[in-house]
Amino acid sequence: MIRLKQSLHIALKEWRLLWRNPHGLAVLFLMPAVFILVMSFALKNTLTSANIALPPTGWVLEDANPIAAQWANDWVARNGGERLASREHLQRALRDRRVQAGVIVMPQWLDAQGKPRSDHVELWLSNRVQPAAAGRLRAELSYAMLQVQLKGAAAAAGPFASILLGNASNSELFPASGALTTRYLYEIESDRKMTAVQQSVPAWLIFGMFFVVIPIAGVLIQERNDGTLTRLATFGVRPDAILGGKLLAFMALNWIQLLMMLLVGRWLVPLLGGDTLYLDLPWGWFLLMVLATSAAAVCLALLIAAYTRSFDHAAALGGGANVVLGAIAGIMVPRNLMPAGMQTVSEWSPMGWALDGMQAVFLGAPDAAQVVPKASLLLGFGLLCLALSWRAIRHQERAS
Amino acid sequence: MPDASTAAPSASLLSAQRVSFRYPKQAEQALQDVSLSLARGQSVGLLGPNGSGKTTLINVLIGLRTPQSGAVHHGGERPAVVAWVPQDYAFYPQLTCRENLQFFVAMLDVSPSERDARVDEVIASCVLQEFASKLAKHCSGGVRRRLNIAIALLQKPDVLMLDEPTVGVDPQSRAFLLDQVRELAQQGTAILYATHYMEEVAAVCNQILLLDHGKVLASGDLQTLLQGDAQSGGFANLEALFMHHTHRPLRD
Repeated sequence: MIRLKQSLHIALKEWRLLWRNPHGLAVLFLMPAVFILVMSFALKNTLTSANIALPPTGWVLEDANPIAAQWANDWVARNGGERLASREHLQRALRDRRVQAGVIVMPQWLDAQGKPRSDHVELWLSNRVQPAAAGRLRAELSYAMLQVQLKGAAAAAGPFASILLGNASNSELFPASGALTTRYLYEIESDRKMTAVQQSVPAWLIFGMFFVVIPIAGVLIQERNDGTLTRLATFGVRPDAILGGKLLAFMALNWIQLLMMLLVGRWLVPLLGGDTLYLDLPWGWFLLMVLATSAAAVCLALLIAAYTRSFDHAAALGGGANVVLGAIAGIMVPRNLMPAGMQTVSEWSPMGWALDGMQAVFLGAPDAAQVVPKASLLLGFGLLCLALSWRAIRHQERAS
Repeated sequence: MPDASTAAPSASLLSAQRVSFRYPKQAEQALQDVSLSLARGQSVGLLGPNGSGKTTLINVLIGLRTPQSGAVHHGGERPAVVAWVPQDYAFYPQLTCRENLQFFVAMLDVSPSERDARVDEVIASCVLQEFASKLAKHCSGGVRRRLNIAIALLQKPDVLMLDEPTVGVDPQSRAFLLDQVRELAQQGTAILYATHYMEEVAAVCNQILLLDHGKVLASGDLQTLLQGDAQSGGFANLEALFMHHTHRPLRD
């Protein structure tokens, strides 16, 4: 009986402690709620069969046949998109995200009998196009080509079309003419197949880098709470030196972390039967993105550590914020699975900027326009966090 | 013996003249017209109940807070080196005692050879030789207290401010720390010793400054204050003097 009584009192005490730990409660209740909300929106399109919009599509006509021109013009008039002069123009439009897909109608698209040949049509896809939208586009293109073929057959049959077409077998009307060739922009630019490892490594790399908040908070909160920050001030150490030292140390930690993750993708994943992570990256852009991402991650961690009161508080806030930021940015669910609205939201998160820049580096041959704006946003975000952290630490040095 | 509150700034290493300080959004002043002078070799006991303004005064003296009125002066030809020993263990428990000392000495503008010399010197003076390679978190309370003081001594201070330096240590360690403070004073270091332990002040200090609600209630030579005046009569000990001025109600 006494043990039961003790257990009840212990349970009551635990509830009282929980009630007085709002950060712990926030992790338990608020974070999952936010996560469910974000993921529900992010995955909205993947499990629904209705209302899958066709991606904006660019058309390149290499076949001078007027039927091809009519097909492209009809399509653009009905579904939007644009006509483009060449494959190079299409590649540029995909990179600039003016279009998400491209249709290239190759020479001799129509055979001698005027039948369209699917294997003379190439479908190019941006790295971020939704798979469902790409699937619908493929189906619509095949259907449109059948319509062209049917029109041609009907025209040849003249007034007896209904009799002829009614008696003809499907194979006579629609002989197999090869499959539509589909290629992702990454495959076009790198001449390699798109793999899950190439797509997911940048995302998890960024996610891991932002978890630097845990060690930073551990040290900074200890320094503040036991008066070490104040003591350092009496040694003539200014907040900028403290922040500078931490920035250097934890950015270096980030880089080691990054190296480890690259090695896992390059060596461990293939050993276990997965695809290889290709590392012949544009190293200049890669280093710029690493520097900017690392600076943003460490400065955000410093900000969280500077404004939280205990390690538990920092771990809860920092961990929770990272998970939610990651979900918004497209770390958990690839952006191409998100509806358009969520994709726009994800472009306004620091992890989203990092992901854009890193994917540009990992999935192709990026240029300054793809990397520099994202790196600048990350560095600006880092500077803002650093300035706010400096203010907090300056105040805390005097508050011990 | 110069009065702790009224000594002329020119004769002192560090002095505060009619210093007042109020924290933002606080109605009550944390310090009101507090004056204090610390001369070479002088030991001043800083006494007061919790919340009386002792820590605020130390923060003002070491330059961490700027008073709204009054001023802090450094005497002598160069600004006095002021070091502070906080009440908490303000160092890194995950580092060894030597690593902690090496880190803090590296924050000072001294040559590498001077750094090594200072570390060896404080290890010897605080009797930390046996624990130099031990992680600070694995050291006893007494060793950690000595390390806390050793870090301040790395600065070779003219003025040393100690904020309850003997909390949680055994009698042996306390006796050692008090001896060490006395020795520093004999060597010419000015000491400001904040504590709740009256017997420590009696053992170490020749002056006292008694604060409450940010005001100086009593200051000056310890023996003179114990003799009292015609109105209060004499006091049996420092605790009786303290209670006479601060009264019995609990503070926090």
